Amino acid sequence: MLLPLSFRRRHRQELRAYAYLWPALVLLGLLMVWPLVQVVRMSFFEVTLQQQRFVGLANYGELLATPLFWRALMQTVLFTAGSVLLHLVTGLGLALLLHTRINARFIAAMRGALIIPWLLAPTVAGMIWVLMLAPFGVVNGLLMSLHLLDPANTLNWLGSPDTALASVTAMNVWRAFPFFMVMLLAGLQAIPEVLYEAADIDGATAFDKFRYITLPGLRGVITTIVLLDSIWTFRAFDPVYVMTGGGPMNSSEVLATAIYFDAFQKSRFGYASAEAVVMFLILFTASAIYVRRTMRQIG
Amino acid sequence: MGRRAKRRLAHAAVYALLIAAAVVMLFPIAWMLTVSVRPNIEVMKIPPDWIPQIFTLDAYRKVLSSPRYLKTFVNTYLVALVVTFLSLAIGALAGYALARFRFRGQRTVLMFLITTQMFPLVLLCIPYFQMVVRLGLYDTLTALVVVYTTFTVPFCTLMLRSYFAQIPKDMEEAAMVDGCTRLGAIRRTLLPLSYPAMIGAGIYTFLLAWNEFLFAVVLIEAWEKRVITMAIYSLLAEFVTEWSMMMAYSVLASAPLVLAFVFLQRYMVRGMTAGAVTQ
Repeated sequence: MLLPLSFRRRHRQELRAYAYLWPALVLLGLLMVWPLVQVVRMSFFEVTLQQQRFVGLANYGELLATPLFWRALMQTVLFTAGSVLLHLVTGLGLALLLHTRINARFIAAMRGALIIPWLLAPTVAGMIWVLMLAPFGVVNGLLMSLHLLDPANTLNWLGSPDTALASVTAMNVWRAFPFFMVMLLAGLQAIPEVLYEAADIDGATAFDKFRYITLPGLRGVITTIVLLDSIWTFRAFDPVYVMTGGGPMNSSEVLATAIYFDAFQKSRFGYASAEAVVMFLILFTASAIYVRRTMRQIG
Repeated sequence: MGRRAKRRLAHAAVYALLIAAAVVMLFPIAWMLTVSVRPNIEVMKIPPDWIPQIFTLDAYRKVLSSPRYLKTFVNTYLVALVVTFLSLAIGALAGYALARFRFRGQRTVLMFLITTQMFPLVLLCIPYFQMVVRLGLYDTLTALVVVYTTFTVPFCTLMLRSYFAQIPKDMEEAAMVDGCTRLGAIRRTLLPLSYPAMIGAGIYTFLLAWNEFLFAVVLIEAWEKRVITMAIYSLLAEFVTEWSMMMAYSVLASAPLVLAFVFLQRYMVRGMTAGAVTQ
């Protein structure tokens, strides 16, 4: 150690702590903080593979004047809101069913089976749905056997602008609902049984119990997972990229895919960086709320 | 109707609803399995057959006899295992400092770790691509390992921190009195006691690394370096897609995770819930 003894004495705790922390901090500093600074810097430049030219706020100006950007933003919001809402409804419904007092083995088996979609890569899940939603796919097949669809007039779910985004949302709901189910089940198990017993003595109906005991008991968990899921879905890239590539006619483009295409297909790194910064700023609000909540829990 | 009969009816309804939910939610997985054992011609029939008319393992044979596809499995295993090991090692050290010491900057470090988990990752694509090209790491698995480890270290740190904090210091201190160094004491007392958290965090890290797609697409091009998620996507062709082969490949790519889940469900569910509520 080269530091003077007095310094070492005064900062013993810090030296000891950072001796353990430095690998993590160096890694995150170099690969999270530094690149973030780079992106912000690049958003003020016109960047091509050969050169960089300072353009001030021109990228941002162009961005705000581009209808495709606003469209992607709107569709990202729709995709996120739809996914989160349906995750919550599906997850809560299944968690309530799994929290009943029926055969414990059956419950454990069902919980295990229902988690499986969450294990799949978004790429794998996306491909299964591309296959199921194809004109020759099983979704059309089901509609045909219910006589809701004429075999001569098959639907192309991902190939039509009216249904592409909704189809990607459906896939995303299917793949990620188990997260909500597991979290809400843990939340339900943490509600004291006595509350329900007391309500029974008072003659409360099932709806009353749900309204005045279950929902308030789950408020904390619901807030946490809704925040997390909103952040995760808002930034999601894989589902849209593998299922539709943002098409047809940009009808399922979201911010993450728009940034990717602008950067890596059109080689407009400056413009794409400006898009990324805007996305970061939007997400920052939701993240700040989540970080504050978590810090309060940690205490 | 008596109370008993009413309860029985309610239970029957719960069974029925759960079974119905499982049928609907597991249907896509069942469909993946049945398509993987059909000839590709049959997949594109309108209307589709619910049960394969011809059963064949051809698609699996094609995947398993192709050096190109086999290599993607080797690559993915390698990347996911190294990332898991590195992430746990770095995360355990950092988690230990956060759980055991009181020092200036502690809250800031914690807040920073939570914040990094919220980053829009696509934001990092552009600078990563430029950095990796400049360092000559384009098309190397090293680039993937470094990048994935960056994404998983915060989660591992937070999860291990909360677990370490619940374990009393006494054992480590006793081991240190007996002449162990602090690192030796951690290795002999704290780590063996925290294996549930290590498995939970480890398996979640493995899952993330195994399933990652965006950065693989940005940082890898050559076939010998590709990982499974890229290979699956590249099977989607413009004209005639080999659906049965793609589904067979998807089954093989998902099997390790599903198998791990069957045996380690307890730890994995803990990892899942801890990921959100890292207290």
